[in-house]
Amino acid sequence: MGLIRAVFDASFRQSTARRKPAGPRWPLMLFHVDTGGCGGCGMELEALATGPYDMQGAGFSFVSAPQGADVLLITGALTYTMAPVLEAAWKAMPTPKGLICVGNCAIDGGIFSENYSLMGGVSRKVHINLRIAGCPPTPKDILDGLCSLFAQHSKATGAAQAEAGVSSSSTTSS
Amino acid sequence: MDAVAHIQAGQPTSTPWRYRLDEMAWRDLVEGLKHDSLPFVGLWCDGTDIHALFMPHDMQPLAATLALESGRYPALSPARPVSSFYERMIFDLYGAEAMWGTDVRPLVDHDVWQNSMPLAPVPGAAGDNKGMVAVQPSDAMQAASGTAMGSGPATGGYETPLHVAMVCEGETIRHAETVSGYAHRGMAQRWHKCRVDEANRLSGRYDAGCSAAHQAAFCQAVEHACGQQVGHEVSQLRLVVLELERVTQHLFTLATLARQAGARLVASRCMWLRESLLAKAAPVIGSRLMMDHSVPGGVNLRDTASMGTLCEQIADLAEEVYPPLVTLWQSYPGLSARLAGLAVVESTLLERVGLDGPVARAGGGECDYRRAMRAYEGLWHFNGGRHNGTLEDRAAILLDEVGESLRIIKALGPRLGLSAGGRIELTYEDGEGTGLAEGPWGAVLYWVRLKNGRVDQVFMRNPAYSALMAFEAVLPGQNVADIGLIRTSLGVSAAALDG
Repeated sequence: MGLIRAVFDASFRQSTARRKPAGPRWPLMLFHVDTGGCGGCGMELEALATGPYDMQGAGFSFVSAPQGADVLLITGALTYTMAPVLEAAWKAMPTPKGLICVGNCAIDGGIFSENYSLMGGVSRKVHINLRIAGCPPTPKDILDGLCSLFAQHSKATGAAQAEAGVSSSSTTSS
Repeated sequence: MDAVAHIQAGQPTSTPWRYRLDEMAWRDLVEGLKHDSLPFVGLWCDGTDIHALFMPHDMQPLAATLALESGRYPALSPARPVSSFYERMIFDLYGAEAMWGTDVRPLVDHDVWQNSMPLAPVPGAAGDNKGMVAVQPSDAMQAASGTAMGSGPATGGYETPLHVAMVCEGETIRHAETVSGYAHRGMAQRWHKCRVDEANRLSGRYDAGCSAAHQAAFCQAVEHACGQQVGHEVSQLRLVVLELERVTQHLFTLATLARQAGARLVASRCMWLRESLLAKAAPVIGSRLMMDHSVPGGVNLRDTASMGTLCEQIADLAEEVYPPLVTLWQSYPGLSARLAGLAVVESTLLERVGLDGPVARAGGGECDYRRAMRAYEGLWHFNGGRHNGTLEDRAAILLDEVGESLRIIKALGPRLGLSAGGRIELTYEDGEGTGLAEGPWGAVLYWVRLKNGRVDQVFMRNPAYSALMAFEAVLPGQNVADIGLIRTSLGVSAAALDG
């Protein structure tokens, strides 16, 4: 687990303040790993990807293999059983690559603090490029968080606008 | 003597529906259960005793307790196959061995934890395994011939982590077994000596698709332990959230099924309706996934007085959108043909694994605890439908239940009016209680023991183990590409399984 070191490539990092770089890797490909939680963040990711949020229009898409991913997207509080799986996924990704944590559990364990089976999130173990807090964050929170990588704002649909303010969450990137 | 009388012949305890048996009586109970249809709920350990919970009549618990001597107890799995999951969990957490158990493989401890037997009086050493979990195949799997394949726990999808190990011949699965434990968070340990409100928050995050059911059942159990019952208004408010959770979870499942079956238009319509409902409901309830709405003694909604109006708005939207959605589902080219005949869950399998909920209802089972709940009087009625147990039937039942729950919500609206719900103050005295809610995938039952103003022990039962047994049983003969469809249709959730 200690081997996981999530860093954006220098060129990737420089571009974040302006616009997402166009090119062969457009859109930004995300590989999701649930590392052991209640599944709520995964449900909201599915709602984001398949509901009326136009995630792909905003430039993001999920892939089914880490070899085709730009970013590893984690949900869940990281069990010891999932740690080697997460590490294998990270190693299989091409560089440049980054790490995004969605939900309080993925960041610092949230309600599931460290115990005999849980590491309690990844924030004290690896560098996180983007944290999208919430329990769980709404699809719009997640999309706003993703767009913040490129200083964009998501175009909220009617449904998404109506839910604004439902969940307390915050987004930080580093 | 039947099993109920046998248990009631045991030594009474301070809890009126729980009886203490000695080891010989427990063995006789196991033998008696082989010829008795007494519904089994679950088995758990509290470190000193083993408890087996049954439900002889709707909403009437009956428990047998056995002192755990020398770390062993007679297994119930020879009489109730699903008990093997509880026995394996008890061994992993407490090191208590189920004698004559039908399956003794690890369930959640794969030698990677900081302690083995973490809840035993003296926990064991840390596990040696630092790598991926290795599959421990059963004898049947080792004997199967074909190509070994695997799926999960990280597929890039949105589902909770579970590994499915298979032996395939071409694209056809010949034998399949699952490896669980990837999402084990140690809920039993977290609940132990926890504050009641914090324990309630934990129960809401056991399995996100069924948060409302978990918290409603947990709160009922606490109220039962306190000898209290919430008022009619609070019960009705909880019903609205429970039914809304059923609607949104079923729409979510239907959308996933349609997408996995290639019917993307149907999937987007299901998801659009779900999102439209949540856009109205979430600002009133305070959570999209119906978390933290139910608290011991009452409800905790963002805008309780608007719940009646919310029901009316949902009913209006449903009248406009639900009938066309049903028509689309039934007439969409190829969808019915894609799902027909897949992964049949027959009534004999249902009986063997003790599965309830919509999966059982699609296979002919008449199991819906709402029928016996006083709060549902005049609201719930038997929902007929196709009962052949195929994947298509399960989808049809889910779609029917969406309509039924929308009807219940519409009926509840005028009853709520501007109700603020009210709340009873609970005094947490020592005691035990049970609570039950019919969740989206079946009954969610909590047993809670309070001690010194805190939660001492919690046992939770949901349909997850039974669903997993059914999943493993129906996979042989299916195409390997249909694993996702079948898993979705059975509601197999690693979060619900692993605890």
